[in-house]
Amino acid sequence: MIEVRSLTIDYGTPSAAVRAVETVDFTLEQGKSLALIGPSGCGKTTILFALAGLLTPTAGRVTIDDTPVTGPRRDVALILQNAGLLPWKTVWQNANLSLLLSHDYPRRTADAVLDELGLEEVKDRFPAELSEGMKRRVGIARALSTSPTVMLMDEPLASLDTLTRERIQDLFLMLWEEHRFSLVIVTHDIAEAAFLGQKIIVLTPRPARVKARIDNPKLGSLEYRQTPEFARTVRLLREELER
Amino acid sequence: MKRVLTYVVSICVLLFLWEMASVAVNAINHAALLPGPFNALSQVVKNANTLQRNFWASAWRLILAILIALAAGVPLGLVVGREPVFDRYLSPIIYITYPIPQVALILFLFVVFGIGSATKVAMVALVLFYQILVSARGAAKNIPEEHIISVRAAGASRWQIYWHVVIPASLPDILTSVRVSIGLGIAFLYIAETNAALGNGLGGYINKHMLFQRDRAFAGIIALALLGLILYLAVDGLERILCRWKYVARRSR
Repeated sequence: MIEVRSLTIDYGTPSAAVRAVETVDFTLEQGKSLALIGPSGCGKTTILFALAGLLTPTAGRVTIDDTPVTGPRRDVALILQNAGLLPWKTVWQNANLSLLLSHDYPRRTADAVLDELGLEEVKDRFPAELSEGMKRRVGIARALSTSPTVMLMDEPLASLDTLTRERIQDLFLMLWEEHRFSLVIVTHDIAEAAFLGQKIIVLTPRPARVKARIDNPKLGSLEYRQTPEFARTVRLLREELER
Repeated sequence: MKRVLTYVVSICVLLFLWEMASVAVNAINHAALLPGPFNALSQVVKNANTLQRNFWASAWRLILAILIALAAGVPLGLVVGREPVFDRYLSPIIYITYPIPQVALILFLFVVFGIGSATKVAMVALVLFYQILVSARGAAKNIPEEHIISVRAAGASRWQIYWHVVIPASLPDILTSVRVSIGLGIAFLYIAETNAALGNGLGGYINKHMLFQRDRAFAGIIALALLGLILYLAVDGLERILCRWKYVARRSR
């Protein structure tokens, strides 16, 4: 379970601090999904980085399975905008970054993941040789290679065309149902939040505060986009964002 | 093969221009002031042994100087570029000492290292050290933050961040600075070798013959140019191996 209590994060020096996040609270049970949505630059990524252990909160507390997050954890995977691939490493090396950094990860998972995502044939290529959609899949493979229990995604599908974006959203949904990790996705895309977030938190412009919480329990099938519930969630989100 | 052909064509054009310049200069002055390329090339053949000895003397000094500059400049540049504390304290020192013309120190170096090879290598290494240091620092500073974050999130230690991100990301810029260093290094090696023409070296050889045996001096210049070309091609080859990802990217575009 992920617990975020009164999370406040300032940037800069104490004398010239800029508040990015202010007293944000939420909990997420194991295996559930949460979407954080808000205007660009509001501080959503900052919240995600605190969950990933990449920065220390100014105040408040972040715990995963009752342990405070003090640094990057093995059971937490992060997918960055534009997949965060290293251009000088091959697809295999990028997907197996954790294995390269620490040799005690089991190798078989990574190979199986590459196979599962249809990347086996391009595993010796460099990122520059891949399409944008394929790069995102390598990013997903990297995240799955450590069999995480928590998956964090920072606008993972920004700058993709609509069809590729929906195809990868479908893939996320399938992988989430198969692997049952807890999913936290940061996005500014209303349809993406409605398609992937069982809970959706709408954030205010900087500093990010919780503006609204929307439950979206019916998601889980690829046809969800065509249902009245999806349309209702999208409408609610739009109203909250415009309010 | 195509690459070899373009080199051959370029060299032919260069020799032709040189011949034209030689004819023009000598006609204006009514004297054999500028030897033509064929005179110079025939001297290369005639003095092959002497030239070879001088060539190797200059080559190892230049290569050693580049290696010393790399060994000192790259780690320091990367650390200053990445670690704010080092940047704060060392960057001012770098920028105060960088504009000092290092060649002004050549007499001082003679006093410290004597008039042998050590001074010549030290002179060139000092010039190239700054060149490489400033490039490495700039390269390390410009690494996109997302690369660093992606390895940090995967649990990388500080050393692993350098090994998997900072070094490979900076390598193309460092190799570019080595290319610049070859030309710069040859120029300063020439200065150092003519200031202390003891022992072998193309600088001393050229200087010695410039007044009365100019075709020989120009044979020395050809050898110096050849040294630059060989090193340049070597760096190109090295880049193709070490930065294969860049060439692949270019091909697939």
